[in-house]
Amino acid sequence: MERTAILHSDSIEGKRLVSSIAMIVVLVSFSMLFASLFLGYSYFRITSPVWPPMGMEKVDLFFPTLSTFAIVLSSMTFMVFKAKYFGGGAVNKTMPWLVATIILGAGFMYTQFSLWADLKSRGFYASSGVFQSLVYSFTWIHAAHIVIALLTLLYLIPVTMNKECTISEENKVNNVGKFWHFLDVVWLLMYFIIFVI
Amino acid sequence: MAFYEQHIHPKPTTFISKYIFSYDHKVIGKQFLWYGILGLGLGGIMALMIRWALAFPGEAFPLIGRFMFPETGGVIPPDTYAMLFTMHGTIMIFYAITPILIGAFGNFCIPLMIGCRDMAFPLMNMLSFWLAVLSAALLVGSLFTPLGAAAGGWTAYPTLSTLIGSPGVGQTLWAVAIFVLGISSTMGAINYITTVITLRAPGMGYFDMPLTIWGLWLTAILNAIFLPVLGAGGLLLVFDRVFGTQFFLAGAAATSGTGDPVLFQHVFWIFGHPEVYILILPAWGIVSDILSFFSRKPAFGAKATALSMTSITILSTLVYGHHMYTTQMSPLLTQTFMTLTMTISIPSAIFFANWLGTIWKGTIKFDTPMLFSLGVVFVFGLGGLTGLYLGTVTTDLYLHDTYFVVGHFHYTMAASVLFGSFAAIYFWMPKMFGKMLNETWGKIHFWLTMLGLNGVFFGMLFVGYAGMHRRLYDPFVYDFLQKLVPINTFITWSAILMGLSQIIFVVNFCYAVFWGKEETDPNPWKVGTLEWTIPSPAPHYNFAEIPVVKCGPHELGNPNLTTDRDFQYQTEELVEA
Repeated sequence: MERTAILHSDSIEGKRLVSSIAMIVVLVSFSMLFASLFLGYSYFRITSPVWPPMGMEKVDLFFPTLSTFAIVLSSMTFMVFKAKYFGGGAVNKTMPWLVATIILGAGFMYTQFSLWADLKSRGFYASSGVFQSLVYSFTWIHAAHIVIALLTLLYLIPVTMNKECTISEENKVNNVGKFWHFLDVVWLLMYFIIFVI
Repeated sequence: MAFYEQHIHPKPTTFISKYIFSYDHKVIGKQFLWYGILGLGLGGIMALMIRWALAFPGEAFPLIGRFMFPETGGVIPPDTYAMLFTMHGTIMIFYAITPILIGAFGNFCIPLMIGCRDMAFPLMNMLSFWLAVLSAALLVGSLFTPLGAAAGGWTAYPTLSTLIGSPGVGQTLWAVAIFVLGISSTMGAINYITTVITLRAPGMGYFDMPLTIWGLWLTAILNAIFLPVLGAGGLLLVFDRVFGTQFFLAGAAATSGTGDPVLFQHVFWIFGHPEVYILILPAWGIVSDILSFFSRKPAFGAKATALSMTSITILSTLVYGHHMYTTQMSPLLTQTFMTLTMTISIPSAIFFANWLGTIWKGTIKFDTPMLFSLGVVFVFGLGGLTGLYLGTVTTDLYLHDTYFVVGHFHYTMAASVLFGSFAAIYFWMPKMFGKMLNETWGKIHFWLTMLGLNGVFFGMLFVGYAGMHRRLYDPFVYDFLQKLVPINTFITWSAILMGLSQIIFVVNFCYAVFWGKEETDPNPWKVGTLEWTIPSPAPHYNFAEIPVVKCGPHELGNPNLTTDRDFQYQTEELVEA
């Protein structure tokens, strides 16, 4: 039988598949979390005659745009890191790109804190109305995920230092990458839906 | 078709690594079983207190009443009553049924029945259990906060659950506990889905899986997709309560902007309706298998049963609006939701007919697991039929929020799932602990539970149809409900009978686990699924050799099998295959 042949022969391919199936389920779960938030957003947006409601001003785009640049660049540097890592590059060739990703991710968090400080200085508080609540809740929840993702990126440093690249290291790099790109996509959606339009 | 060879953890030697922080799916399953049985006990005592207040208003609760409510002389106070029904619902759904069916039997049965050595991610499995323990600690801890536990109903509708409705910290702890439990269940779901896809024994296609695994697998898929939705709702509720956001405030409560309490109902029921199927699907699967095993016949239309469970899984995501007919939805929407809801009865009827087809002309053996499975067929039939009245807009507008609803969802979610759990416990007990439960006491337990349970829930349908609303502390202050005192007293006596008959089960269970001497046969029920081919209790790492599956789970005398046993596998041809 064709199926039974898989049992002993291709253990590495099997582990790769298991890891990617599990990661798909993880990302579906996270997508549903953010999808529910977007549902709440559209619920308020559709039922409100004007947007933002109650004569509120739109959020200034300066800090959100900076955040966008930071996170998009970090996704790109991660792609370079991954290409070099799987290309069998030496540690001193791959590590700078991983560090660059982490620094850009930290930069993203810095722009988020600046955004919150800026909003507060304009009297834009979470408790002032539903528009403010939406802006703050989206950014809080997304930022909490970014913090976890940054920790997993830091965890990749010892993985990269390790000379050998077995299937276990490969899965770690792939999955952290998927999670990071996922948060990038979620931020882009948030940027256009909440801040731009 | 196992994708790879699993990593084998060394056999644990210390007590802590064996029973506390275990990687072994069988031990984690047993941990969840104890956790769920404790939850059933706690939620059950709360149910009895609620029933006592409804049947004997103003009388002290017997035995423990005077210690718990000294300021009222043992009478349950109104605010405590609200906490009781809230915590009863929450504990029974999230801390009793979910851990027993999904936690315990999901963990225990999936690797054994698909022929692998452990779950795909044993560490995540362990974390899932301990997160569930943390969540239970948060929830039980909320009972001891200054203003008491959450009291807004298990649905936690705003504005009952916002700071206006419940100012105490209890409701916040409730939302956090549910969020943590959501993470735990999602981790479990990731594990189950991956395990079923990748670790089936060689030769086992999806339709060769026992229907139990089908039920658990579909449940895991629903869990992974919809628990995060509840998580988002819970997070926003916590933000509203702690950081002063305005999602669910409305009217005078909101200082500016326009929050909306109904948004929470949408989010809650987008999760909540699939949750109903999350709870019932494993029970359906277990019952489908047990009916076949004890009728000594292949499951009638097993493929159709699996496919109709799948289509119910899909449909269940599209019908949540039928919980919200009274929220001023547009008639177009209510009719759409009504039609979709009615569509569910088609696949339900298919597998229900398959159950009856399975036992038709079978050689039925009335062992305790079979009795409980037949009980599920009966009570789920009743629960499903009463659901038609609630899914129809015109009748639901009258029945909404009455005891009819309470009776309906207890028949489907409580009675069916409880009987399914008992069937599973009696059935897999020899494989879990290596001991059989006493059959005679098992049968007495079944009949007393069946009597009490139907007295309670059928009575609820009557009082609900007569117009008694749920969640009222003392409904009899209303003139038109005063004639319902006798039937409410009857319901309460039935509940007491049902509660007391569980003592039989607890004694039977504890006696078998701790003091039972008799070692069982590896296959006491003479069935052919993979878990019965190994010794009882299941050894460390389950299968000495991974079996090669030759046919479906319910086939007897299949000519493909070279052994003289009716197992669905053989290990002899492992190398050549």
